[in-house]
Amino acid sequence: MTAAILDGVVLGLAYGLLGVGMTLVYGLGGVLNLAYGQIVVLAAIVASVVMEDGRATLLAALVGVAAAAGVSVLLDLTLMRPVYRQHGEERTLLGLLLTLGAAFVIGGVLTWRYPFGALYIDITGDPVSILGVPMTRGSIWASVMALAVAALLLLFFGGTTFGRGVRSVIQDETGARLVGINPSFVRTVIFALSGALAGVVAIANGMSAPLEVSAGFKLTTFALIVTVVGGLGSVAGAFLAGVLLGVVDSLSAHYIGQYYTIMILLGAAALTILIRPRGLLGR
Amino acid sequence: MLEVEGLAAGYLGERVIDEIDVEVRTGEAVAIVGSNGAGKTTLFRAIAGLLPTMAGRVVLDGKDFTRRPAHRRARAGIAYVPAERHLFPAMTLKSNLVLGAYPKRPDPATLELVYDLFPRLKERQRQHAGTLSGGEQQMLAVGRALMARPRLLMLDEPTTGLAPKIAQVAFEALEGLKSGGMTLLIAEQQVPLALSVADRGYVLENGRIRLSGASEELERNPEVRRAYLGVA
Repeated sequence: MTAAILDGVVLGLAYGLLGVGMTLVYGLGGVLNLAYGQIVVLAAIVASVVMEDGRATLLAALVGVAAAAGVSVLLDLTLMRPVYRQHGEERTLLGLLLTLGAAFVIGGVLTWRYPFGALYIDITGDPVSILGVPMTRGSIWASVMALAVAALLLLFFGGTTFGRGVRSVIQDETGARLVGINPSFVRTVIFALSGALAGVVAIANGMSAPLEVSAGFKLTTFALIVTVVGGLGSVAGAFLAGVLLGVVDSLSAHYIGQYYTIMILLGAAALTILIRPRGLLGR
Repeated sequence: MLEVEGLAAGYLGERVIDEIDVEVRTGEAVAIVGSNGAGKTTLFRAIAGLLPTMAGRVVLDGKDFTRRPAHRRARAGIAYVPAERHLFPAMTLKSNLVLGAYPKRPDPATLELVYDLFPRLKERQRQHAGTLSGGEQQMLAVGRALMARPRLLMLDEPTTGLAPKIAQVAFEALEGLKSGGMTLLIAEQQVPLALSVADRGYVLENGRIRLSGASEELERNPEVRRAYLGVA
């Protein structure tokens, strides 16, 4: 039981990061990035290729994160421009269609070039006992990384002028423009940030279990669920939801069976929409 | 300081306002008066850059801002307080004020000035903006605009939705700003109140400037008296 819960927390922290990347982009412009999982996979494959080249793991991880951020900026500057020119439902629909297209293109290219591609970062060392449960060093590193990034994000959004500016665009875009904030620039920076987060998720995932080239849509689905449960545009909410869902995921996989997990998680998301449409910590 | 020349703007290709010429000089208070639907908000949105101009120019301190986006105009010193206020509801009152100075850090002296003008804001600085009353939200919107130390403060219907007593207080605050040297452009339906603060006024009707002149002149004008001052 304790083991399952701890595994769930490790898993959940990564889900949290995934959710933050998705929820920020949605909060800022009403676009759900359906290519998000594929960007995670892209970072994983890039990092694994650099590692196979014999480079240091840290360098490979950084290159993977940078690649994901770079591709995200590229998407924002090209594909997303016509999307943000639309408003309301048209924007949402066009955003869904174009990011879905991007998901197929990125996923397709990666599967074609690297059909057996996977990222696994093997961290050697004996398991460490936490609350009497032996945890692999990889899981512990992954959790530490996720927590560190979460702390940085909270500092960034709570304590910096630009971070406040981002929140202001989420709450009232016209108000933000009136105080001198350029929403378009904010969106580009946040798209890049969400790409970098996708990269961190890839690295964190790769430390506890192999991340395979086919994982894209599963990751997007998890990100969507976390976004809905956590509340749109809420960083703290996404982490809380991520950890909760990670624990649910791990417990249900442990006691009920892996195949039902995704249904249980989707059920949790549906229930959230019915009971608390704004999510746990939504605005 | 602000020159609006031959301005036309509107929605979906329709010109709501057209051939608008308005000038505001440094230190002046100017009122745009007119009935509901005359085009006052459209004019303000076009000056602030929230609405694209279809013709004409918007010039601030000799620099043409007609093609510049809203955030550039805000940073150049045009502070627009819309009637709907557009505050950040899930942030504290203080955070709203701090964002008014974006991208700079807020200047403590300016913050004190805002708190002096509206002591209510200081009492409630930790409260979320979404929980404020209408009058407090209006104070916060003006306070946020002042945080940037603007060259020009534009207020759209500052008294809408306020009780008459609070509206009076709001206008007293505007008097205070004006005597402090702030340049003001005010749109109001409540013509007598607006003309009492303003040095000059423009009467907007069906999207065009119908009349303009010094406030006393407009107050004496028989047409204005009949249409807006309720005098037969």
